[in-house]
Amino acid sequence: MSVYVYAITSSECDPRLDDLHGVGEEAPSLRTVTEGALKAVVSDAPEKLRAKRRDLSAHHEVQERLLSEHAVLPMRFGLTAADDDTVRAALSEHAELYSERLAELAGRVEFNLKASEDEETLLRQVIEESDEVRGLNEATRGGGGTYEERLALGELVAREVAARQDSLTAEVTEALRPCADAESEGGATSEYFLNVSFLVDRDRVREFTSAAEKLAERYGPDVELRLRGPLPPYSFV
Amino acid sequence: MTVVPQQSGQIAVGGGGNLYDVLELILDRGLVIDAFVRVSLVGIELLKIDARVVVASVDTYLRFAEECNRLDLEAGRKAPQTLTGVVGEVTEGGARGKSKGALTGAVEAITDSFQAGRTGGTGEEKEEAEPEPRRGSAKRLARHRERPVRHREEE
Repeated sequence: MSVYVYAITSSECDPRLDDLHGVGEEAPSLRTVTEGALKAVVSDAPEKLRAKRRDLSAHHEVQERLLSEHAVLPMRFGLTAADDDTVRAALSEHAELYSERLAELAGRVEFNLKASEDEETLLRQVIEESDEVRGLNEATRGGGGTYEERLALGELVAREVAARQDSLTAEVTEALRPCADAESEGGATSEYFLNVSFLVDRDRVREFTSAAEKLAERYGPDVELRLRGPLPPYSFV
Repeated sequence: MTVVPQQSGQIAVGGGGNLYDVLELILDRGLVIDAFVRVSLVGIELLKIDARVVVASVDTYLRFAEECNRLDLEAGRKAPQTLTGVVGEVTEGGARGKSKGALTGAVEAITDSFQAGRTGGTGEEKEEAEPEPRRGSAKRLARHRERPVRHREEE
């Protein structure tokens, strides 16, 4: 029977797992597969797996549980192995690498920061600050102007917006960098122009979140910063 | 790294365990081992594609132009909306209700993460969103947040 693999941790880690359950409709029980100094948390793989809230939650809760006791290498959602032996072989094959990574991640957690801006406010600022944009905007209002003018306006605005968000991204990242041990750019999405994860020492979590709060105060309500953490180090494995 | 900012519903309240914010971490990051097989997940590809909207396109330019044209500049800056951001205290388990500028999302109690053997059912309020493609932008997000669900109760 194929097994679903949640995470790799140290064989010394002995978390309580009987009150959690695995992914899939059957909510299988969790167990561990140990090989040398490493241990994988697995369950029977469900027949069918979809990324349902229940399943993402189950996957994530295993990471959180392990993280509460030890360093953890969270697997990406949806990974299965043919059987326990395949898991053991995989642990054995890269044992040194995984152990090193676990050591590096010990005492550290991930924080994910996303930022978005209110579009209307942003556009107003762009219009206010550029004569060229203002001129083109006036010319194309109410269906006026040419197609080329509308295109030129849009391109100018897009460039301005991009420049502002790039500089904001740089500013935010630079402000938080001193409080973190590593960072991982997650790539912008349609909602968030900034999406970056930081690896933060547990002893510096307060410092890190304070820095983030300061940023939020500085930018005010026009920029929305969403901070999530402490999280298992998904972005740093 | 430039994307189109969507129309924003602006108000965002982060819950203690809002899965939505970490969806892409769970799905797109994390360790991958070659010897293992990734189950094909319907909808996941959609989510990824949808998440990357490039700014440099004619459609985008025209949309920006249209948005600018529509703005009532005489009305001036609109009054800033109140953001009810929730930042959990780092030292208090599951704390919420601390309003703070525009920093939203949830800084989960670190003590919470340390607690071994905590159960998911009691005292743990999880606001979660459907892992759906993010087609709907911030407005959609806001809708999700208006009706938080506790998965334990639901399932």
